[in-house]
Amino acid sequence: MVNLRAHELKFLSVLGQLGGKASVEQLISEAELSDAAVMRTALTLQEKELVKIHAEPQVIIKVGAEGEAHAENGLPERRLVKALATSDGEAELDKAISEAGLDPKFKQIALGWILRKNWAVYDSKTNKLRIADHLLHQVAVPEGNDEKLLRYLHGKNPAPLNVLSAELQAAVQTLKKRKLLTTEVKTHRIIEITAAGKKTAKQSHAAAEEVTQLTPELIITGKWRTTKLQKYNIEAPVAKTWPGKKHPYLSFLEEVRAKLVTLGFKEMTGTNVETSFFNFDALYTPQDHPAREENGIYFVKDPAFGDINAYKTAVANVKATHENGWTTGSTGWRYNYSTQEAKRLILRGHGTCLSARTLLSKELEIPSRYFSIARCYRPEVVDKTHLSEFNQVEGIVVDEKLTLRDLLGVLEKFALEIAGADKVRFKPDYFPFTEPSVELSAYKEGYGWIEFGGSGIFRPEVTLPLGVKVPVIAWGLGVDRLFMMRAGVEDIRDIFSQSLDWLRRKEVT
Amino acid sequence: MPTIDVDCGELERLLGWSWQGDMEKLDWLLAFVKSEVKLFNEQEGVVSVELKDTGRPDLWSVEGLARTLRGFLNLEKGPRRYEVGEPILEVHVDAQLKAIRPYICCSVVKDVKLTDAVIRGLMHLQDKLDQTYGRSRQKTSIGIYDFNLISPPLSYAVSEPDGVSFVPLGFEEKMSLAEILLRHPKGVEYGHIVKGHSVYPILLDAERKVLSFPPVINSNDLGRVTDETPNVLVEVTGTAHQTVLNTLNLVTLALIDRGGKAYAATVRYPEDKFYAVKRVVTPDFSSRRMDLSVGYANKVLGLQLTAKQMAECLLTAGFGVETVGGDSVSVCVPCYRVDVMHQVDLVEDIAIAYGYNNIEPKWRELPSTGGVRREQRLIDVAREFMVGLGFQEVLNYTLTSPESLFDKMNREKTRIVEVANPKVVTMSCLRSWLLPSLMEFLGSNQSVEFPQKIFELGKVTLLDDTRETKTMDEEWLAAATTHPTASFTEIKSALDAFFMNLGVEWQIKETVHPSFIEGRVGTATVNGVDVGVLGEVNPQVLEAWKLENPVAAFEINVQKIIANKLAK
Repeated sequence: MVNLRAHELKFLSVLGQLGGKASVEQLISEAELSDAAVMRTALTLQEKELVKIHAEPQVIIKVGAEGEAHAENGLPERRLVKALATSDGEAELDKAISEAGLDPKFKQIALGWILRKNWAVYDSKTNKLRIADHLLHQVAVPEGNDEKLLRYLHGKNPAPLNVLSAELQAAVQTLKKRKLLTTEVKTHRIIEITAAGKKTAKQSHAAAEEVTQLTPELIITGKWRTTKLQKYNIEAPVAKTWPGKKHPYLSFLEEVRAKLVTLGFKEMTGTNVETSFFNFDALYTPQDHPAREENGIYFVKDPAFGDINAYKTAVANVKATHENGWTTGSTGWRYNYSTQEAKRLILRGHGTCLSARTLLSKELEIPSRYFSIARCYRPEVVDKTHLSEFNQVEGIVVDEKLTLRDLLGVLEKFALEIAGADKVRFKPDYFPFTEPSVELSAYKEGYGWIEFGGSGIFRPEVTLPLGVKVPVIAWGLGVDRLFMMRAGVEDIRDIFSQSLDWLRRKEVT
Repeated sequence: MPTIDVDCGELERLLGWSWQGDMEKLDWLLAFVKSEVKLFNEQEGVVSVELKDTGRPDLWSVEGLARTLRGFLNLEKGPRRYEVGEPILEVHVDAQLKAIRPYICCSVVKDVKLTDAVIRGLMHLQDKLDQTYGRSRQKTSIGIYDFNLISPPLSYAVSEPDGVSFVPLGFEEKMSLAEILLRHPKGVEYGHIVKGHSVYPILLDAERKVLSFPPVINSNDLGRVTDETPNVLVEVTGTAHQTVLNTLNLVTLALIDRGGKAYAATVRYPEDKFYAVKRVVTPDFSSRRMDLSVGYANKVLGLQLTAKQMAECLLTAGFGVETVGGDSVSVCVPCYRVDVMHQVDLVEDIAIAYGYNNIEPKWRELPSTGGVRREQRLIDVAREFMVGLGFQEVLNYTLTSPESLFDKMNREKTRIVEVANPKVVTMSCLRSWLLPSLMEFLGSNQSVEFPQKIFELGKVTLLDDTRETKTMDEEWLAAATTHPTASFTEIKSALDAFFMNLGVEWQIKETVHPSFIEGRVGTATVNGVDVGVLGEVNPQVLEAWKLENPVAAFEINVQKIIANKLAK
C-alpha cells in the first residue's frame, strides 16, 4: 500500500466526497487547507499518480467600481425611465435627471442609453423627454440582459465567464463596452482522483484525521472510516499489571488436598487450641515429657484448663495405660497420671491430635482414610529453618489387617503421587506414639533425596484406650520442604512472606 | 531430640570397625539406631550425632552407641554380659527426703582408665542424662566422685539452707547452701527444684565431708575426677526410683565398657511407710524376660518370618534369646533397653534388623471415598472471587500481639486467647480478627508499587466458654485496598460483587467503629444478622502502622455466611 501522510489521506478522502473531481477553490473550503497547501498536496499526490491535475484557461469577469455602484442602484437609463413614469410619462430632461437622483455627469450617458434602448423619445427643441409609446401601457419597463448580468455579478465578483448563459455572455460585451466591467484570462486547475487514488483512499479507510483513542463516538457515527488511528510504538515499555493471585503456598496445599482426596482420604478439622489430653496423653506422651514443657509447647494463659468430661471412659483408660499399661500388654510409663494436667489448654503442637479425636469419635469408619491440614504451634525461636507456627499435613489409615507393608505402601504412594518422586527409601524413625516408625525419603531428579515424611503404626497404648481394636497407620508429610524446593525458597520464613513484591512476581510452580 | 558429640577415634576403636572417612557409610550405620550425623568437625575429629529416639538414653554415649552398633555390624551378637561385685558401700537415707528428693542409687567403679577423651565423654553423657532423661535434673541428677577421697558409709541427709558450708565445684571459697543458690551459676539454674522446701538435700560421707548438694552442685574437693582418678563413685538422686536406677546403670555400664570393674552399694531407706522397700542394692543389671508372639509379630510386619529368623534379628539388635518355640520367642531385654514397654518394641527391632528396604511395600485398596468438608469448597470459591476482583492473597501468622489487635487499631482491649509462655511479645496471642495482619502486611510494603489490593481468608480464634477447648475458630475474610484515592465506594463495590457472586443478599447499616472513619463505616448484615464491617480506615490507625495512603477495607465472617447458605 502506498504510504500516505494524514493530510494527504484527508485530501483524497475529501476529493472522493466531492465526486472525485474538484477545483482548488472547492478543496480549500472543504478540506480546510490553505491555498498553497492544497496545491502542494495535489502535486505530491499527482507524482504518486493518485490524482490528476487538469489546467484550463478561463475568462474571468470583474466588475469595476462604477459597475458596482450601478449594480447597487440600477443603470442610469433605468433610473431615468423610472423618473419619467412618475411624471406622467413626460418631463423636461434636466428635471427628470434630478427626479431620478442622478449625478449630472450621467446626463449624457442616461440620455444616450435610454434612446438607444428605445425606452423614450427626445425633443431637442423643447428639451423634453417622453416615454416611448410601446411602453406606455406596461407596468414596468422589462429588465435587459445587461441588467441581469449586473445583478448576478453583484456579490459574486469576480466570476468565470464560462459558467454564464449565452445571453448573459453576450451582455458581457455590452457592459465591457460601457467600461463597467473588465475581463481577463486565467489558468484554472481541476483536480481529479485516479483509480489508484480511489483504491488507496479506500484501503486506508480514507482517514483524514489522526486520533489516539478509538472512541464509542467514532464507532457509532462511522467516523472511524475516515479517521486515522495513530500508530503506536508497540515496543515501548508498559506499566506493570499485578493481577490478583492465590498465595503460592496455599495453592500448593490445595493441590496436596486434592491429591489426598483422590487417594480416598477424608478431611479432619479441629481447633487451634487443644487440650493436653488429645495433644499428648491420648498419644501416649507421658505428662513429664520435655515436649510438654514451656520450651516445647504454648500454654493458654486464661482459661488455662479445658473440659474433657465428655470422654470419661477414654480418660480413665489413658490414665491406666500411662500408669501401668492397663490391658494393652505394656508396662506403661509408671507414674501418677494427673487428670487435671490432661485438661491443660495448649496451642496444638501437631496435627496428630485430630487423629486421636477421630479415633475416639463415634463416627469413625473402619476401613477408612483420613487427613488434616492443621496449623501447629511450637515456641521456637524463628529463623531460617524454624517457624513458631506452621502447617502439618497428616492423617491415618484404619483397617483390620494393616501391616508394616501397608504402611510402606502408603508412604510410597505419597512419594510418587504427591512429591512426584522417581524412587523411595525407608529408614527407622521415632515418634512416641508409633511403633514401628518409618522415615520416608523421596528421590526426585534435580532435587536429590529429600526427607518427605514420617509415619508409623500407632502403639497399642494409643489405639486400645481410645476403643480402637484394629491397627491404625499414622502418617505425616514434609510438605513445607517439598514446597520450598519447588518454589525455590530457601528460608522457611518466606512461606509466610511479608513481601508483596515477591508474591506479585512469584511464577506458577 | 538429643544431639551428642562423638569422638570419631573413640567410636572406631570401641566398634573395632572404621568407616574410613566415608561419612555416608557412618550415616548408613547410624540409621539403624535412628540417628544421623548433623555436623562433622574434621579438625577435632568430632561428629555431632542427632538421635531421634528420645526413649533410648543407652545410646547417648560413645560407649553405648558402639555397644549396639556392633550388633548391626555383625561383630557381636546378643546382649553384652555385665557383672557387678558385692556391695562395698552403704548409703543411709533421711526420712525427711521423701517429700523433697526421695531416692538415691550408687555404684563404685574401680580401675577405670580415665583419659581426657573418656572424661569428656563421661561429662557429656552426664549432662545429656541430666537434661533429657532427668528432665533438667528435676527427675534425676548425677554426681561423680573420686572414691579414694571418700570415707563410707554415706549419708543422704537434709540440711537447713545455712546449716552446711562447702567449696562448690569451680569455686575456691566455702559457701552455705543458701549462698550457692544465690551466687553459684548452677545454684541459679537449678535452685528452683529445692527452693520451696525448708531443708535441702545433702550428701555426706562418714567424716561429714560434703560430697554434693543434689541436684545443684558437687563438692570441689571430692566431686572431681581426673585422668589420675583410679576409682570412681557414681551417685544418682531423684524423684522416680526406676529412673534413678536406670540412670545409674547407664553411667556405670559406660565405665565398665572402659575397662572398669563395678561394685555395688547398699541403700538403706528409713522406717517410713513411704518407702516400700527398705534395702536396695544398686546398680542392678538384671535383664527382663519378655515373650514375643511370632504370630503377632508377623501380623504387625506383614511378613511370614519363622521364630528362628526373628530370634536372629533380635540377637542382631542386641537382645538375648532364651528359647525359640514354634510360635514364640522368649526374649531377654537387657537392663539398658529402658525403651522396651511392649512386644511391639521388639517387633520394630526385628524389622530394623531385617531391613526396612527388604520389605516390599503394598498399597492396600480400601473401599473409602475421599472428601473435604462442604464448607471447604465454598471457602476455595470465596478465595477465587477475591482473586477475580484483583486482590492478592496473603498468608499471615495467627500468632500476634494485643498491641497489634487493639492499640494500633485504636480499639479497646477485649478478652482473647493469650499465650502463657510466649517467646516474643509479637507472638503472644491468637488473632481475634484479620485486619491488623493486613495492616501490618501493608506496613511492610510501603515502597512497593501502588495500588495495593490484598486479602486473607483464614482462621481467627475467639473465646467460648461453652466449648471443650473454651475457644472457637472461625474462618474470616478480610480485604484491603490502598492507593492515593482508595475509598469507601471502592471497597463497598468489591464486597457487593463478592456477595452477589456468592448468591447472598446483604444490607449495610450505619455504625461506629474506632478503627474506621466516622460516617464512612458500615456493618454488613445478612438476613438481619451482623456478618462484618467495611469502611475507610481511621487515619490514626494508618499512622500507627506507618501507612501513607488511604486504606479502605472490609472484614466478614465467611464461615457464618457459608453456614447460612448451606443451611438453606
